[in-house]
Amino acid sequence: MEYAPQHPGDPTLKGMLVWSVGLHALLAASIVAAAIYAPKTESWGGPGGGQAVQVGLVSKLEGVPLPKPETVTNSRVVDETKALYQTPPQPPKPIEKPPQALPIPKFEKEKQPKYQTRPSRILEDKTPPPPNAVTSPVGGGAPAIPYSQPNPTATQFNVAGGTTGGMGFTGPGGGDFGSKYPWFVEAVRNRVSSNWLQTSIDPSVRAAPRAVVDFQILRDGTITNIQIVKSSGFASVDDSARRAILGSSPVSRLPNDFSGAVVNVEFWFDFRR
Amino acid sequence: MAFDCLGDELNTFAADKKTCLLSVDRYSLRGATLLFAVFLVALVSVQLQAQDQAWIHTGTGLGVQKFRVAVAPFAPQGSVAPALAQEFSDVVRADLDFSGIIDSVSASFFPSQAPSQPSELNFEAWSSAPASSQFVALGNLNGTGTDAAIQAWFFDVRNPSSAPLISKIYRGQAVDQQVRLYAHQFAEEILEKLSGGVPGIATTQIAYVSSRSGTKEIWVMDYDGAAQHQLTHLKTISLTPRWSPDGSRVAFTCFEPGRNGVVSPQICMYSMITDKLISWPRWSGTTSSPSWSPDGSQVMFMSSMQGDPELFVADANGNHPKRLTFSVGVNTSPAWNPKTGQQVVFVSDRGGTPQLYTMNSDGTNVDKIALPDMGYVIDPAWSPNGEILAFSWRRPDGNYDIYLMDMASHQLAQLTRDAGRNERPAWAPDGRHIVFESTRTGSREIWSMLGDGSQVRQLTTQGTNESPNWSSPRQ
Repeated sequence: MEYAPQHPGDPTLKGMLVWSVGLHALLAASIVAAAIYAPKTESWGGPGGGQAVQVGLVSKLEGVPLPKPETVTNSRVVDETKALYQTPPQPPKPIEKPPQALPIPKFEKEKQPKYQTRPSRILEDKTPPPPNAVTSPVGGGAPAIPYSQPNPTATQFNVAGGTTGGMGFTGPGGGDFGSKYPWFVEAVRNRVSSNWLQTSIDPSVRAAPRAVVDFQILRDGTITNIQIVKSSGFASVDDSARRAILGSSPVSRLPNDFSGAVVNVEFWFDFRR
Repeated sequence: MAFDCLGDELNTFAADKKTCLLSVDRYSLRGATLLFAVFLVALVSVQLQAQDQAWIHTGTGLGVQKFRVAVAPFAPQGSVAPALAQEFSDVVRADLDFSGIIDSVSASFFPSQAPSQPSELNFEAWSSAPASSQFVALGNLNGTGTDAAIQAWFFDVRNPSSAPLISKIYRGQAVDQQVRLYAHQFAEEILEKLSGGVPGIATTQIAYVSSRSGTKEIWVMDYDGAAQHQLTHLKTISLTPRWSPDGSRVAFTCFEPGRNGVVSPQICMYSMITDKLISWPRWSGTTSSPSWSPDGSQVMFMSSMQGDPELFVADANGNHPKRLTFSVGVNTSPAWNPKTGQQVVFVSDRGGTPQLYTMNSDGTNVDKIALPDMGYVIDPAWSPNGEILAFSWRRPDGNYDIYLMDMASHQLAQLTRDAGRNERPAWAPDGRHIVFESTRTGSREIWSMLGDGSQVRQLTTQGTNESPNWSSPRQ
């Protein structure tokens, strides 16, 4: 079946096809010709470029005590440092009497207290607990604050990536120093962090487990008694951590209204390249 | 009996002595001694307890944030001009801004009520948005006659129960210069506290060479470019001022008759305490570019007293010069590691072009600092922590620019680029700031910047100024 043009004078399909093939062939030929006969120059941004030598520059050096950009750290489900939760004090064991012990004689008869108070009535909540209630194994109280949760009593700092690291200040006294002088803690942290010269760490170490170092700050800001409590397993990381703390001494004087003679610090170092 | 005894046991125990230890009518000396002893024991135990209690648990691996500080306008009271109070708060604000560790709260975010006393401070309003500040500095200037008492406080507003970090009264004349100095002192104290013991630089000074009086003389200015004044009036050429570590002297290169009577570069010593030149030995030939040892007991310099320009070291008063380098060519511009005092970096052209070399401070163990490119390398300057070397380097395809090098890892960082010639860096005692000379405006002027190349600001504008050197913190 012949496909005839509807109007006389219209180009036929065959004619248009011939034109199209011809023009495409011309275009391809001109591209090939341009590629072959184009003047030879160095490609833009290519190697060479005169006598200059490539110098490996870094944007910023360690050791200048300036604020650093925030870094991404792994969220830690298990915290290697001491837990914030304190085990409740165990009742002291009753002292066992030796079998031959004689009772200590009393000098006089025991006096009765002047006023005998009636035992107070205990108002009991009679409503049964809801079916989904969770019983606490330690008997109530605030739960231990997980590391990845913001700690409302401590200064917080955000880590790029959305996680929040909290500095918990605990201890037998219940976190007196850290909540009273958060600026001091932050200043010490900034100082030690900026003195941590990670370039001195063995280049083959990509990441290291957390190293924990304890030290003491005296009233005049001198740092003493540096001990590596938990080694990272890499000597160069431990050494750089120790040097970071040594290089920060003396830090600023302890706050004037703080009565203690010394502050203990537990400082951890997370190394990642 | 006004008081009863403590307990029946005690009562009965003391019965045979026919007294009650704590009864008022038989108040014996023994009772007082016992009470005092109990008090002492309690005091010691409280002290021991306090020692046990104070623990900080913190760590690194997280970014370091800037502190957000608001400086409330200081209120003028009494006879103090409002402009003076304005100047005090402006200077404190500028010092904090320039420190590089503080994020200053813009005045437009301040609460409408500006406090002039701690009792007027609304912790909530300052710590919440839009001010969102962590700390607030506030106070007032109270004038009586020509004197003023400046009360200044610094509060942690996110911790309303805490005592102020700083509460001070500065007393002095109500004049511009004095108020500026007090503002610098207050800012320095804030910075010292917030940077964890790194000394503040707000009261430091910069010595430099200026030719605005006709000849090149030594000048001194505050670290922010204020209070520029001329130190020397030698009417010759004075170069390369260097502060002694205690800030009491400035050593520099001057043109004086040497031992043989010929006018040549010599070392002059200026006492900042007596405002006079101190005598210093003269030698034949050229003697120049002094450098202090970190303890201030020795001076290292270049001298051609034995023919070739070599490095010598002498006592601080110029006695006992001792030659340190033995090489062909010029050895000059020594810089002493301020932390250890053991290592010296200097410039030598023994290899053909001026390059940096290190040696021990006794002249042994000379080694070239290898750089990945050719060119002129001059003006070495150590950072205060003895880790980083700043220098100016003209690479074959470029201009003089300031570079930093970490001496342990030999990592390089370029601080200036495409902005005229940048030479002669010198570190501030806080290790964050660098002062240098630059021709970026067309004439040679003194500029300063942070150690990462940011916050560049011009300190001088008149005449040509060069060769800056930063003083140590004021004692």
